[in-house]
Amino acid sequence: MRFFYAPNACSIGIHVVLEEIGKPYEPAPLDFKNNAQYEPAYVAINPKSKVPALLRDDGTLLTEYPVIAMWLARSNPEAGLVPTDLEGQTRCAEFLDYVCGTVHPQAFTRQSRPGRFALRSEDEPAIVAQGRELAVKYLGVIDAGWRGETWVLPSGYSIADSALFFIEHWAARRFGIPLPPRLAAHFAAMLARPAVRRTLELEGLPT
Amino acid sequence: MKLYYAPGACSVGIHVLLEEIGAPYEAVLVNLREGAQFKPEFTGVNPKSKVPTLERDDGTVLTEYPAIAFWLASRFPTAGLMPMGMEAQARALEFTDYGVATMHMQGFSRMFRPANFAPTEADHEAVKARGAEIFGKGLALMDKALEGQDWLVGSYSFADSALFYLCFWWNARLNKDLPANVAGHFARMKARGAVQRVMAAEGLA
Repeated sequence: MRFFYAPNACSIGIHVVLEEIGKPYEPAPLDFKNNAQYEPAYVAINPKSKVPALLRDDGTLLTEYPVIAMWLARSNPEAGLVPTDLEGQTRCAEFLDYVCGTVHPQAFTRQSRPGRFALRSEDEPAIVAQGRELAVKYLGVIDAGWRGETWVLPSGYSIADSALFFIEHWAARRFGIPLPPRLAAHFAAMLARPAVRRTLELEGLPT
Repeated sequence: MKLYYAPGACSVGIHVLLEEIGAPYEAVLVNLREGAQFKPEFTGVNPKSKVPTLERDDGTVLTEYPAIAFWLASRFPTAGLMPMGMEAQARALEFTDYGVATMHMQGFSRMFRPANFAPTEADHEAVKARGAEIFGKGLALMDKALEGQDWLVGSYSFADSALFYLCFWWNARLNKDLPANVAGHFARMKARGAVQRVMAAEGLA
């Protein structure tokens, strides 16, 4: 299995899932700063030019964060990373969709890549400010809708937690956005997991 | 069940799934033009202020298009909307996620609401063009996936409802051409009784 990622991108959440599972995989980092995702060699593998992407042992590629996470969890049931009942799986999918479809692209892409929104540099500060405002709002929605105890889902630790982790990691460590209480406790619990510490080390980030 | 929808919004795809299933549901219109999604009556149901929102018979609320589609297809297996096997299910979710999170939210949103992207009005045409480019790239990927088959994952599934609403926006609302295989898919969708009932119910026929 070949795992395409960019250090400190949202793929860090899938990196955590792979480390939790603990089976061998081949890490394939892409240099986003040099636009490696648009190089023909990668476009031939993944025409969407995105990470995370997972090239499986049968040679087929899987894309879209929620799908990769769900597939890894379901094909490695012994790791216990996704609920086994329909309700739990649905709530898990709902959480992943919100994080990957709204929180990341609306709030955090505005802050990390304002040039994808504003077409002139003088507009960029307003986009960054708007992204920060949205991040605070979305983190509040997650905090208010919290269903679990330590972890996102009431059934325990799951792939929903590694998705929330990349958001918390960006908010707290890249953009200095304070985390609401439940999320702050969740982030601390994530940082205490050996799989998370290994992932941060592998991506060259402080633990 | 109660589906909160806005006529012609992406919720039309979930509306189609409910018609395919045929279990009783109530369709509740949320007037997005008047900002009803931000009023307490609706934020009390869904604090994210988005449609589609599905209130289930036990009173719990489900949000996010792919999650609602996944739940409906799993909960009502006789409708045959959930593909058999983990691999086909993963692919169906992959198409749905890409359609909703990239083609819709990155592509179409740029075309439909450029002010949400660039504050300077003079840039809006360029934002729209970028949106059309993202959407067009997505259509090309969908077209390739449909090569030699009628539906996205082989048999008809919940993923086809997502491609349907995207085609409806692109072709019926914006009058833009669809690539050949996607055009065939759109025609097959429009021929389905469930789709025709939804178009009439939302006043889009």
